Amino acid sequence: MTTYDERANLSELSATAGEVRRCVESVIEGKPEVVRLSLTVLLAEGHLLIEDVPGVGKTMLAKALAKAVDCSVRRIQFTPDLLPSDITGVSVYDQQRKDFEFKPGAVFAQIVIGDEINRASPKTQSALLESMEERQVTIDGQTYQLPDPFMVVATQNPVEMEGTYPLPEAQRDRFMARVSIGYPSPAAELEMLDVHGGASPLDDLQPVAHAHEVAKLIETVRGVHVSDAVRRYAVELVAATRSHAELRLGASPRATLHLLRASKASAALAGREFALPDDVQSLAVPVLAHRLLPTAQAQLNRRTAEQVVTEILGRVPVPAIGPGPAAPGTAPGAPAAPGPYAQPQPPGQQPPPGLPHTGQPRGY
Amino acid sequence: MSGRGRLALCAALATLAASCALLPLVDPATWLLQAALLTAVQTGVGAATRRVPLARPLTVLAQAVVSLLLLTFVFAREYAPAGFLPSPASFGHFGTLFEQGVQDVSRYAIPAPLTDGIRLMLVGGVLAIGLLVDTVAVTYRSAAPAGLPLLALYSVAAGLSQGGARWLWFLCAAGGYLLLLLAEGRERLSQWGRLFTDRSRPGAAPHQPGSVGGPAMAPVRTGRRIGVLALGISLVVPAALPSLSGGLLDDMGTGGGGGGNKGGGTVSAVNPVVALKDSLNQPQNRTALVYTADGDDKDLYLRIVALDKFDGAQWKPSERRIGEIPDPLPTPRGLGPDVRTRTVSVTVQASDAYAQDWLPMPYPASRVQVGGKWRFEPEGRTLVGYDKQTTRGLRYSVDSLQVQPTAEQLRNAPAPPPGLKREYTEVPRSLPAVVPKTARKVTRGAKDDYDRAVLLQDWFASKGGFSYDTEVAAGTGVNAIADFLKQKEGFCVHFSFAMASMARTLGIPARVAVGFTPGTARGDGKMEVGFQDAHAWPELYFEGVGWTRFEPTPTRGSTPPYAQPDSPDADQNPSEALPDRNQDDEPSAGPSPSQSCSAQQKQADPECGMAAPAPGSGSSAEGPPVGTIAALGGSGLAVLGLLSLPMLLRMRRRSRRLRARGSTSGSPEAVLVAWQELIDTGWDYGILPEDSATPRTAAERLTRIGQLGPEEAEATQRVALAVEQVLYAPVPRAAPGTADEVRRIRAGLRAAAPRTVRIRALLLPPSTARLVWSARRRGRALRVRWARALTRPRLAK
Repeated sequence: MTTYDERANLSELSATAGEVRRCVESVIEGKPEVVRLSLTVLLAEGHLLIEDVPGVGKTMLAKALAKAVDCSVRRIQFTPDLLPSDITGVSVYDQQRKDFEFKPGAVFAQIVIGDEINRASPKTQSALLESMEERQVTIDGQTYQLPDPFMVVATQNPVEMEGTYPLPEAQRDRFMARVSIGYPSPAAELEMLDVHGGASPLDDLQPVAHAHEVAKLIETVRGVHVSDAVRRYAVELVAATRSHAELRLGASPRATLHLLRASKASAALAGREFALPDDVQSLAVPVLAHRLLPTAQAQLNRRTAEQVVTEILGRVPVPAIGPGPAAPGTAPGAPAAPGPYAQPQPPGQQPPPGLPHTGQPRGY
Repeated sequence: MSGRGRLALCAALATLAASCALLPLVDPATWLLQAALLTAVQTGVGAATRRVPLARPLTVLAQAVVSLLLLTFVFAREYAPAGFLPSPASFGHFGTLFEQGVQDVSRYAIPAPLTDGIRLMLVGGVLAIGLLVDTVAVTYRSAAPAGLPLLALYSVAAGLSQGGARWLWFLCAAGGYLLLLLAEGRERLSQWGRLFTDRSRPGAAPHQPGSVGGPAMAPVRTGRRIGVLALGISLVVPAALPSLSGGLLDDMGTGGGGGGNKGGGTVSAVNPVVALKDSLNQPQNRTALVYTADGDDKDLYLRIVALDKFDGAQWKPSERRIGEIPDPLPTPRGLGPDVRTRTVSVTVQASDAYAQDWLPMPYPASRVQVGGKWRFEPEGRTLVGYDKQTTRGLRYSVDSLQVQPTAEQLRNAPAPPPGLKREYTEVPRSLPAVVPKTARKVTRGAKDDYDRAVLLQDWFASKGGFSYDTEVAAGTGVNAIADFLKQKEGFCVHFSFAMASMARTLGIPARVAVGFTPGTARGDGKMEVGFQDAHAWPELYFEGVGWTRFEPTPTRGSTPPYAQPDSPDADQNPSEALPDRNQDDEPSAGPSPSQSCSAQQKQADPECGMAAPAPGSGSSAEGPPVGTIAALGGSGLAVLGLLSLPMLLRMRRRSRRLRARGSTSGSPEAVLVAWQELIDTGWDYGILPEDSATPRTAAERLTRIGQLGPEEAEATQRVALAVEQVLYAPVPRAAPGTADEVRRIRAGLRAAAPRTVRIRALLLPPSTARLVWSARRRGRALRVRWARALTRPRLAK
């Protein structure tokens, strides 16, 4: 049963998150779902990869998010000549103390904005690997903890191939979600002209939440309940990517973890104390798609990873009382436990072949 | 012969084989020859028109017209121009003949003589079935459904015939049907090309090109074997199953005597009123029973059965537990110790003509000595024969109590037990309002139940202006009683039914007893009871006395002394048997046509005593209540039932899912079951369920595709939220009232759906596919288990 405290935490979370969202939305117009997703990633202790064509506001979103939360922010402009030590930091010899002193790099901040991350060489990019996963930096055998909360918001440009280095798989897997902003609607664009015509709205942005508040919110998100059924559903979704014919590389167990954490955060943002399959479904594409590698054949067929994930979502049965043929065995008056209902079908199981599909959907 | 010709021949043969089952019903069997001849002509016409070829409906029309001409020629030659052309007169004759046939069927016991009416019904029926079979099997080329008309024909015959070599007729009918199937299969096979003989069989003659009478073709032979096997199994297996009471072979003595019935069971709800009727419509008064009583009792009503269930149209015996006959029988219900009783011993000899599976006894019997297979039904205190036990030729003796309550005791009777009162004062809602109204009017001013009962009885018997008339044509159905109250003419059935119903509306527990009036005294001191002494009377319940007979029928039977409070002797001298209404005119000894008719009454009503009262005819004797029609209707109902099976299954499922049982109405599983029902309802209305839809998505789809109104959409949302709470919340919390929400959403879906979808959702709901799936899954699991069980020993080896 939810305690009063949890309830109070949840409403507090909703309130704070709502303020942050409004704050960010005042800068990024007409993209509430993108803003919401970035907030979800923030609360789920993940890292966000913003990938889109130039000029749609990737950097703006990252900066707005950073600014809305009152915390330390560092920005790294990834350039081809950037060195790993620029990111992690470097030990320099202190003449006075006759000792090496560690000068922390740009990564030592609560929100790190990595702009155009794919312009740096893979060597430099990989400097982020440890910090993103383990939230620490090890230099010269010395390990330095990163502050809490810690979030990397990176942007990259998928169009320009000249002079860029695509992110290695290991790096991509460390991002909890990838989001594309997309072009704004004409109305939103018109409004943007008004707002951005004068001074930059970013300048007027005042932080609405403090870092320790965010840390508390993250704590609340950790306490969100995920039922067995939803967990199993997430596992099945991820497992389905591994056995899919059009994918060379499926999603990792880390992907499952990220999916579940993101679902928790999404549930908390919605003011719920438990996660739903709906949360998993809404997050599956942003969380899974960037980790998947389509086969050459699929690429030839112009199949994207997003399409594959959507197809898997449409195929894997939701652990509910089966709208599908799994349920009829559970006669009315069956035992009380949700067991028979929560029992999902093995992935990929279809209704018996040759069954007449009585009843056609209408209205489509 | 061409394949189609063979098929037509087989169809005709199948019809005739099935109609063979009708043979034991009628005595000479010459009608079958006639039917065979006419069927042959009909089949020939069909074959000829198909050869022309005509359009299929035209073929059927031609056959029907020729059949009509044939029937006209055979049955209404003298009324038809040119001897065979149908005319209004010939149709009128058909009607007359048919009516006659209906009457004959109800008049004669089986086997009936072959009257013209019966002949028309038989031959016409066979021709009609033949036409149907020919149309379905040959003209429309699907032999399997042709089994339905054949089955109807066979079931009519099997339902009517009693005993005899029923297995033989079954073999005939089933063989005919199999022959038809075989011919169709053969024809279908031959369309693929030449049929080959089975060369693999050693010694088989090589196929001669063009030889027709060669050895049986392999598929055909296999088919025959399967057919013979199936027939054999269908004959033998029921004999081995105890619950099927011996099956068709029972009459051959191999059925094991139907031992399954011994331990009790329930009384089947065969309406004795109808069962009696066949033997009652006898032109002369045949003797049913002869009995001697040890006292000089003239008032021994022999009761057969009590009809205690009133459905508005008819009184029927309810199904009750039966058991061994205790010795002595238990004390009658409600009989107190301070009521005077006297034991009367009666020895009864039933005649050979009287076969009834209830034992006629004076009420209430206290000890019965009877041979044979009888069981005791305690509520109605009747003895029921099982395993074809009847009273035919039976001799038995009964000790029974003559209960002699005083009017005072009846008047001061306390309230009956609530259970009994509830059961026996129940009247259907369809009962016309005039019945309770009249009852109240008649009994106005009465102080107690006894007064009301007597007032009712006297109103019917004398004061109400009713007259006894066996020829009355009172209406049928729920209005029968109201009609009777208006017309004021009827016989014992009407009087007893009406009085019992009215008593029930007044809150007096009542039922109707069926049996015999005391009968006529013979010279040798014995009493003789004829079929025409059959009678029905109301029994009213008074606590402390028990079930008490009243006599509302004028000119029949005798009014019991306690029911005559006006009589000066009734209260003062209860020990003395009071003279009943008819006793003064009754000859003390010597034969009389009927004891129940007084001299004056005979003058007034010559029909009295002569005309057989036909109990139950108030509801069924006016129409043609023939077994044929009943059976045909029955098979039609069966087909209807089969067609409406999906609907019924779905309705049952829905009601079970949405039934809000007190303890589980707000429980998680109730919510889940309601959700399942909602999804299925959506499916029925064309919203195909999706495996990958979450409760919210599913609710949203229901709202969008089902075009639900805002209120229903909200309800759908609420149900989905409730399901989420149950399935995914840390502690499942169920919201009450989900079932009602589902009902409301269903109404919304219904209102928004087009008519075709609505009709399909009602008659052929797609979600019944779940039942098929579950059955299939169960079957698969069973197969796997068997396979495992079978392979294990082999592996062990």
